[in-house]
Amino acid sequence: MAQTIVMPRLGQTVEEATIVSWHKQKGDPVKKGDILFEIETDKAVLEVESFYDGILLKVLIGEGETVPVSTIVAYVGKKGEPVPKRAEGGGMKPEEAKPPAPVPERKEPEVEPAKKERQREVVVSVSAALPSPQVSSFIHQPSGASKRILMSPRARALAKNKAIDPSKISGTGSNGRIVVKDIEAYLEAAGYNNLRISPAARKLAREKGIDILTVRGTGIGGRIMVHDVERAIATQPKAMSKMRQVIARRLTQSFTSTPHFYVTVSVDMTDLLVYRQELKDQGKNFTVTDFILKAVILSLQEFPTVNSVTDGTTVKWFDSVDLGMAVGLDDGLVVPVLRNAQNLSMTEIHDLAESLAAKARERKLLPDEMTGSTFTVSNMGMMNVENFCAIINPGEGGILAVASTVSTPVARNGKVEVRSMMKITLSCDHRIIDGAVGAAFVNAIKSKLENVKLWKSLM
Amino acid sequence: MEKFDVTVIGAGPGGYPAAIRAAQLGAKVAIIESEALGGTCLNWGCIPTKALIASADLFARMKRSEELGLKPGRMSFDYRAMSQRKDEVVTKLRSGIEQLLKGNGIKVFNGVGSFINRNRIAVNPSGKIALAGQRSYKIVGKSKAIRSVGAPPRGAISLDDSPVKQETIIQAGNTIIATGSESAMPGFLPKNKRVVDSKVFLGLSELPSSIMVLGGGMIGCEFACMAARLGVKVIIVEMLEDILITLDADIRRELRRGMEKELSIHIVTGKELANIKADRTGVSGMIGKERIEAELLLVAVGRRPMTKDLGLEKAGLETNGAGFIEVDEFCRTGMATIYAVGDVTGGLQLAHAATSQGVTAAENAVLGARRRAETVIPSCMFTWPEIGTVGMAEHEAEKRGINVKTGKFMFAGLGKAMAAGEPKGFVKWVANAETGQLVGAHAVGPHATELIAEAAVTIRAELTVEEVGRTIHSHPTFSEAWMEAAHAVQGECIHQPSFRSRQPPGDYGLTSQLSRRKK
Repeated sequence: MAQTIVMPRLGQTVEEATIVSWHKQKGDPVKKGDILFEIETDKAVLEVESFYDGILLKVLIGEGETVPVSTIVAYVGKKGEPVPKRAEGGGMKPEEAKPPAPVPERKEPEVEPAKKERQREVVVSVSAALPSPQVSSFIHQPSGASKRILMSPRARALAKNKAIDPSKISGTGSNGRIVVKDIEAYLEAAGYNNLRISPAARKLAREKGIDILTVRGTGIGGRIMVHDVERAIATQPKAMSKMRQVIARRLTQSFTSTPHFYVTVSVDMTDLLVYRQELKDQGKNFTVTDFILKAVILSLQEFPTVNSVTDGTTVKWFDSVDLGMAVGLDDGLVVPVLRNAQNLSMTEIHDLAESLAAKARERKLLPDEMTGSTFTVSNMGMMNVENFCAIINPGEGGILAVASTVSTPVARNGKVEVRSMMKITLSCDHRIIDGAVGAAFVNAIKSKLENVKLWKSLM
Repeated sequence: MEKFDVTVIGAGPGGYPAAIRAAQLGAKVAIIESEALGGTCLNWGCIPTKALIASADLFARMKRSEELGLKPGRMSFDYRAMSQRKDEVVTKLRSGIEQLLKGNGIKVFNGVGSFINRNRIAVNPSGKIALAGQRSYKIVGKSKAIRSVGAPPRGAISLDDSPVKQETIIQAGNTIIATGSESAMPGFLPKNKRVVDSKVFLGLSELPSSIMVLGGGMIGCEFACMAARLGVKVIIVEMLEDILITLDADIRRELRRGMEKELSIHIVTGKELANIKADRTGVSGMIGKERIEAELLLVAVGRRPMTKDLGLEKAGLETNGAGFIEVDEFCRTGMATIYAVGDVTGGLQLAHAATSQGVTAAENAVLGARRRAETVIPSCMFTWPEIGTVGMAEHEAEKRGINVKTGKFMFAGLGKAMAAGEPKGFVKWVANAETGQLVGAHAVGPHATELIAEAAVTIRAELTVEEVGRTIHSHPTFSEAWMEAAHAVQGECIHQPSFRSRQPPGDYGLTSQLSRRKK
């Protein structure tokens, strides 16, 4: 019997995923381990491998379609083997009577059950608060919109032919139904007949559902040319990537529901940079970020208040430091997590941070590698900024923004010296973290970074 | 010091129309020319070559006139007479320009213009003026040495304004630079009278019996075809993988077939001509291990901008890496009052492009208008077969991500082409499959250079396949090919078998009918 291929569940919090592209087409031979298709979830883009040998018999879910996890998306089997009837009706039925086909195994970091529980809570609260399919307030959906508009078929055809948006027309038929007469009157009032439109431009507008009355012509005498319509198409609102939508949702939620306050200190990095160079000469490579992460981990252990979260009525102190590390991508931002960071040595921090960042850039992070952080560090040091304030990751009590290290004249021992100064800014949830705690926390980080003896003892 | 509203430097096809347009708009205009009115186009380019090609074309057709039932008898030609007729045509047209400039009240300075600062220009006597006309060369004696004969014909610059005898400084107002280009002569070429560029070639009063052409671009191919049709043995050596590499592949294939099979031109592509030597008797070179020889080497490897006498730095301008003056879409240089048009700005080096830009620059300069230079620029190649092309080649459209659909119509399917005994060639549309917009047109064969005009209007007006297909084209003419080719795009060609003929006819709306063209 043909084997079912299902949309894998790639983490406890992932409920649905979108097929970005199929690597195999119907009829292609498939080997175990071959990449069948790529999916995009809230968190990442991932490749899904086949667990069976055979022929890809049928593809039920095409590119760009989003389905719940465990939905059957395709069948693999022997050549000519029949696929279950059910498939003909569309593959949208998830997990029927039968247990779902085995979910592709993936290497996931070992997490204690208790922690898993917590991660779920935290993240579910984020995504559950805002149901995912949101309707944009300004995306004009021509197909959906025109369905709701009552129009005579002739009027509808005329509106399409003229490349205008009928939602702007008020109908005079029964129940406000738009009839041809209304469209003609609207065109007249809008001066449509004075418009000069190149034939190809008109066709393009019709095709892409652009309201030609909103297009400004730049041809001779204001003639609307193809590039004018193309410009209108380019400026049409379009759906953001899933990742962007998640970012938008989470940041808005955090920023509007959490009273942020900010504390900045300047850290003198001169001595540490010298020490780092010494280590480098000995063949031990550490990044500045490694030192900052470690300093934050140590400080969080001293200030459990900062390593906590509140919902406004209760406060929860975390029992471990799961440190989030913001990684910028071309089209977004992800926050992989260094779990149980309090137990990691400098070398382990360096290796883990490096591998997580690399995975993030390749879009290979698994959802569980991006959830459940208890505090986050965002380092823009390489981007030549003097200072910035970050927005707290939902589910956390604070975030540390690290700016560039800049040669600065500073007063030191009564003299002006040029030192390598780096500003760090803590954004914290004022409901649980008071000014004094915040100030003490950033100064704890500062004093650690400025204390070379400490680092020598940690090596 | 005389003051002008607009000063144009260079009286070629970019410069003189700019001057006339500026004068029409009421400006006081000066034009500075160091050589001959009409520039390269009129004196050493478009026009003289077309005069020679007219003779060569008629001669070649007469040789085949028995096909049309004529009995031409013994045929020969006198190249010197052809060349003289060419000079007369040029002289006549040049005096026409002179009249036009005069009639528009434009002051002509015969000299070299160079900036003193951004609004003052010095005009100095030109050393070139003595050479301005066509110097004649002759291949003499058994040694076949090339000698220059006689003085340049009079009237090269026969203006009332006699050449400037001493430095004259004028207040330029807005300036339009239109100094054009000259043949690039790479340094590795031997300095010898048998190594010539197109300008010197046009001064020959006798045809050599064999020619090597270095460079398979438009100029190289036109000269090669002209000479080959007069019986000269021609070899073209082009470093790139094909001649006229930017052309649509279908057109290129047809042209190359015609040149190789019917004109017996030897075309070598993708190879370098090395070890070039020239002496009193001929030129030679090596292509790999093969040695080739000819009486003359025509160098046509591109044209470089003429900016060296302009003193651009004094006007605060500089050239880009390739030596061109960069301009924006309004023909403006980096200096507010200075415009540049034509070959000196790079881009498509075509006379008509320069003319259009010249007019645009003049309007922008005089009216303070913001007119954009036209971007739909047809090009014509008077090779044999002729080529006309406008808009995008198929590969170019694909590269831009356009869902391409093409339609071709062979002249063999045209009544007129058969009747006229000119059945070889075709036209081709390149269309956007989604909107039916025509984005490229290509013609190869007889009258292709005239045929392309309709396509240029079509593309500029952004017409669709449907509209051209429905436009009645008079019968019997070659122009019907465009209509038929538009039908072919839709798979509904009347006079040509169609692979789509068994499918139900599409609505002219195209949209659902056109699927991506499979290669």
